Amino acid sequence: MIGEFLDYAINGALIGLLYALVAMGFVVIYRASKVFNFAQGELVVVGGFIVWWLTLGMGLPWYFAIPLAFLLAAIVGYVIERLFFSKLVGESVFSMVMVTIGLLILIRGIVLVVFGAQVRPFPTIFPLKPIIIGDVLIPQSLLYGGILAVIIALALSWFFNQTRTGLKMTASAEDHQVALSMGISVRMSIAAAWVMGSVISTIGAIIFLSGKSLTFLASEIGFIALPVALLAGLESIGGLILAGIIMGVVQGLAEGYLDPIVGGSVGSILPFFIMVFILFVRPTGLFGWKTIERV
Amino acid sequence: MALQPSGVFFENYSHDKALIKTKYQWLSLAIFGIFLLLVPFLFGPRIIAVANIMIIMAVVAVGLQITTGYAGQINLGQAAFMGVGAYTAGLVATQFSLPFWISIPLGGVAAAAFGYIFGLSAVRIKGFYLALTTIAAQFIFHFAILNLPTSWFGGSNGLTLEPASLFGFEFKTDSSFYYLALIICTVMVIGAFGIVRSRYGRAFVAVRDDDVASSMMGINVVATKASAFLVGAFFAGIGGGLWAYYVRFVSVDQFTLFNSVWFVAMIIVGGSGSIVGALIGVFLIRLINELVTSIGPVVSEAFPFIGGDIVFAAMNIILGGVICLFVIYEPKGLMYRWNIMKTSYRIWPFPH
Repeated sequence: MIGEFLDYAINGALIGLLYALVAMGFVVIYRASKVFNFAQGELVVVGGFIVWWLTLGMGLPWYFAIPLAFLLAAIVGYVIERLFFSKLVGESVFSMVMVTIGLLILIRGIVLVVFGAQVRPFPTIFPLKPIIIGDVLIPQSLLYGGILAVIIALALSWFFNQTRTGLKMTASAEDHQVALSMGISVRMSIAAAWVMGSVISTIGAIIFLSGKSLTFLASEIGFIALPVALLAGLESIGGLILAGIIMGVVQGLAEGYLDPIVGGSVGSILPFFIMVFILFVRPTGLFGWKTIERV
Repeated sequence: MALQPSGVFFENYSHDKALIKTKYQWLSLAIFGIFLLLVPFLFGPRIIAVANIMIIMAVVAVGLQITTGYAGQINLGQAAFMGVGAYTAGLVATQFSLPFWISIPLGGVAAAAFGYIFGLSAVRIKGFYLALTTIAAQFIFHFAILNLPTSWFGGSNGLTLEPASLFGFEFKTDSSFYYLALIICTVMVIGAFGIVRSRYGRAFVAVRDDDVASSMMGINVVATKASAFLVGAFFAGIGGGLWAYYVRFVSVDQFTLFNSVWFVAMIIVGGSGSIVGALIGVFLIRLINELVTSIGPVVSEAFPFIGGDIVFAAMNIILGGVICLFVIYEPKGLMYRWNIMKTSYRIWPFPH
């Protein structure tokens, strides 16, 4: 009984950390450019397909393919920034949101044209054999992914709060015009944000997809990660870890105990109810900046 | 905008306020109206089917235009609101066998209530936070339909409807339904023109342009935002009801986030803040959609290496590309460009 509970809770927490990792892509882009990127899930898919292409398509060993995949993902992020967002510095929120939604659909179309709609096997980067502690089964990819998520969160948190470059990027998220007049290059900041967001998404893709199959539908994780980003508050990177664990445990327990009663998918919709609740009650999330205009 | 064609002078206020100000505008409207009435006689069944879908979507897009274009509230849940309307209309029609002229308005009311709940979140949040709430509306709608008891909304099987009937006449064929849809759509569009020119419509525009300033002028900003959602969702619900009676089959797959994005694309292309713009957007986007659907299979047959998924993929690329290009290069849409051309024609040869 207690073992079952621990199983749901621990696996939930680890999946929550994976969501936190994907949500980190959102937050990094938001924190450095004030663009809320709805196309995050598509970046995960692009990252996944790049890894698939390099490992299974080109036959490169993984220790060589993964760094190369990061480089390619960085280029993708940079190209997106050049093509779309460099022209939108200082534009309204509506324009930014709409461009990211346009981008979501555009990238999905391009992925379909380039890689097709077939289901592809994704390389097994982490060993498939789960770690067993007592009654608890832990998939290795999730365990390493969780550890990786915590490390990346700490590193990014340090970068944005302590280093000069990080603070400059934070300034451009506050207000494009003010940042420009302080001599900060908003374009550079947005470009850096997209490069980082794209690379983080690729890491997320590797952990999420390792040993599973890959189609363009994997982008759903982008929407699943939205509630986590919102619970943490859109500016807080460290808070994502806590928010991810909370959301993951809640979801894991709901899947374990509520789904058999109600007949399915409570676990998958609960985060969205929580999201709506947060939006009504505390739109800044747990750790966000309290600058939301309430007019 | 305020420029009238040369030689048009107003002698009383009612003339000044009129939407249609010259004889030629009346004439072109009349020609357009007659053309619309003749569509079932002029074209084949495929075009009539396309026209029906365009008319239904026009109702929904005009509603979104009021919420997003006039009141400035981003709404990515319009398809969910449409779905609520479709399911409500379908439910009361099948369970209580109500006639369509009650069930479609009921669908509108139900959608308006659903939209109002999510519009209330505008009390506390704005911008993309609002977009998030409307996306959540989309997911919650999907979840609710699939998980409520099958006897209510049919779950994943969907709902099947009898055709709409009036005094024993059944709107079974595409061309008979065309007239029903056209009448309802005309009423809704005239209503939309009325709303945006009324006190409420002006309040919407004021809130869109600056909510702090408009609250200083005595506008209740929260109520205005919520009622913008109410009105927009009502239009979506009416469109959904029409959809239910046209397709006579309602399922959740017809009302996805992807469909909501299509509606947003329509008003971006047509021009935000213009009812006519919404109609033009619906026409153009649906036209592109139909062209891709009909050309796609031919292309993939001619070049087999492209594969059969090309239609869906090409649709995605075109839709996404159109949204990005318009937001970046023509953010005010085609209507705005048209108005500039019209003005510069009227004041020619002066540049400004």
